[in-house]
Amino acid sequence: MDFAWTEQETAFRDRLRALLADTLPDDWERFSQHGPASPALTKYAESFCGTLAEQGLLIPHWPVELGGQGLDPWHQTILAEEMWIAGEPRGGQYMNVNWIGPTLIRYGSPDQQARYLPPIAEGKALWCQGFSEPGSGSDLASLRTRAERDGDTYRVNGQKIWTSYAGLADTCFLVCRTSDDRKRGISILLVPMDTPGITVRQIPSLIGEGDIHEVFFDDVTVPVTARLGDEGQAWEIIGYSLTNERLGIPRYALARAALDRAVAVLKEQGEFDGEAVKIEAAHAAALTEAARMASYAIVDRRAKGEAIGAESSSARFATVMAERRVCEFIVEYLPEALADAHPYLKMHHQRGIVAGIAAGAAEIQLNIIATDVLKLPREPR
Amino acid sequence: MDLALTDDQVAILDAIDTLTRPYAGASLHEAGFSLPDAQLDRDLAEGGFLDIGFDPDLGAVSAALVVERLARLPQTVEAAASALIRPLLGDDLPRPLCLVEEGRTTRPVRFLREGATVLIVGPSSVSAFTATAAQVRAEPEALYGYPMATLLDVPTDRTPHAIPADEVLTRWRIALAAEAAGLLAAALDSTVAHVTDRQQFGRPLATFQALRHRLAEAQVRANGVRWLALKAAATLGPGDAALAALHAQESARATVYDFHQFFGAMGVTLEHPLHLWTYRLKALIGDLRGRGGQALAAAEALWG
Repeated sequence: MDFAWTEQETAFRDRLRALLADTLPDDWERFSQHGPASPALTKYAESFCGTLAEQGLLIPHWPVELGGQGLDPWHQTILAEEMWIAGEPRGGQYMNVNWIGPTLIRYGSPDQQARYLPPIAEGKALWCQGFSEPGSGSDLASLRTRAERDGDTYRVNGQKIWTSYAGLADTCFLVCRTSDDRKRGISILLVPMDTPGITVRQIPSLIGEGDIHEVFFDDVTVPVTARLGDEGQAWEIIGYSLTNERLGIPRYALARAALDRAVAVLKEQGEFDGEAVKIEAAHAAALTEAARMASYAIVDRRAKGEAIGAESSSARFATVMAERRVCEFIVEYLPEALADAHPYLKMHHQRGIVAGIAAGAAEIQLNIIATDVLKLPREPR
Repeated sequence: MDLALTDDQVAILDAIDTLTRPYAGASLHEAGFSLPDAQLDRDLAEGGFLDIGFDPDLGAVSAALVVERLARLPQTVEAAASALIRPLLGDDLPRPLCLVEEGRTTRPVRFLREGATVLIVGPSSVSAFTATAAQVRAEPEALYGYPMATLLDVPTDRTPHAIPADEVLTRWRIALAAEAAGLLAAALDSTVAHVTDRQQFGRPLATFQALRHRLAEAQVRANGVRWLALKAAATLGPGDAALAALHAQESARATVYDFHQFFGAMGVTLEHPLHLWTYRLKALIGDLRGRGGQALAAAEALWG
């Protein structure tokens, strides 16, 4: 067992920090409060991701033949941590490079790869994922958005909801129903968002401007060539995508960074001298570090080419616990942060509310742990 | 980073499993509140398992793995302090090694008996003495799952140890976290087995979500305690150690009553081993001034 970073990994992290320090604008912390999906940050992300691409830091974990450097999951984790700690200046593009690109690499046709991979690799694409529906959240397989085959096209009708980035995305990774079979009747279509019949409506939210949307599909015509993989293959493809994204955003890293920042502010104000505040801060730190180590245990498996297993749900839940405890600490000891006194802490707090909701509800993670880690008999359905 | 066990660590843990297998079927009917086992203690000591921390190639991580594994047994032996703190003191000190915080010497002490080495750990100094019969009052009715005794007298002519007290405290916290990790894992496994077998309303208790989610949260905690303990053993950093011990004590607090709750009345019997793990966890909760003590130590190490 070795818990130390290699020299190469440390140098990689240092390089990212230096780049962030050099590149981000002076008012970045206030700016990043708009949220990764806001028009302002989306626009900024285009130039920032272009800079990353030029320096070989946008897709370093992709295969060399596709423009990456084949760096291992530890480097991918370091990249994700540093970007998220910084307020995610890649905007919604983090999703492209983390799992949409790798999924297209695995399942995309040559034409799809030629069309979609270069813009992702250059930092010029923005995707949204059409998963949740009004009646299908955690129970994704109940989704009803339907794609009816009509010769060489599909006619898509239905509604998606909570869709991040939809307002500005150029392409949708759309999960829809092509037959009535619950799981084997689901397919994936890659749909340009300017296709006639698509209507996007933003939903005002706590988590930043432009983050969640409703997306309506009314007789949207999509060529069969836009289907990713075979008809009915979506469940398998989503499973593969999740192996790339199951750990999700490294929220533990921002939570710890926000906690450290909050403590620094309190010390500066002479308010970090009582036992109560120190005890609360330490409890929060214990949770961020427990989540970090649980996550690293999964990264280690990925780095060795092993299946990540259901323990990734344990790491996810640990992260939810950490995120909430840090948010609670800030509210209790630096209430002015949520007004506007400390933009970085406000940014953390805005994003923290969805830790247990986005990318799979915390209760679903607990179900997975119960069934697949603890091997408890399943609940009756 | 490489978080897999080394070949040596796999071999050590396999050897412990082989050595302890005959003890698994021990009768609990005469066990009382704790289950010390002198033969197991001798077997482990003779096998060198408690001296692994002396080997620089194996180090504190391997010692912590040994402590964690042994803590899963219903029997108890004094392993944590011997495996993780004795390497700072020398291998000629008689075992068991009993840890006592200066200023809190009237509290019950785990494994204390005549002939034990008592290590008094102060804020700035470390000293030891060998306990005499007159200095010890056994506490056979103590609920804590360990053999406990009270120190009646702390001699002034103790043997000083020229090692930083901070280093001892750090290793104490790592030992506590490693032991708690094993206890939490064993209590969780035991509870999982019970709720899987036990049927009510025509189906296993484990199929009720009210229990499933709380057990899943216990798994998240047990997993976190184990990783923080191992990381702290690797870095030997005071901050890592304090966070590991804090998470261990907080997780013990958060889970112990749930484990008993899910066992119903079976969990309050002495014929089931659950209490041996949970009441040991309760003993560890009080170490080093409890969660507040670890939290303040962590805050000092992290933020000054």
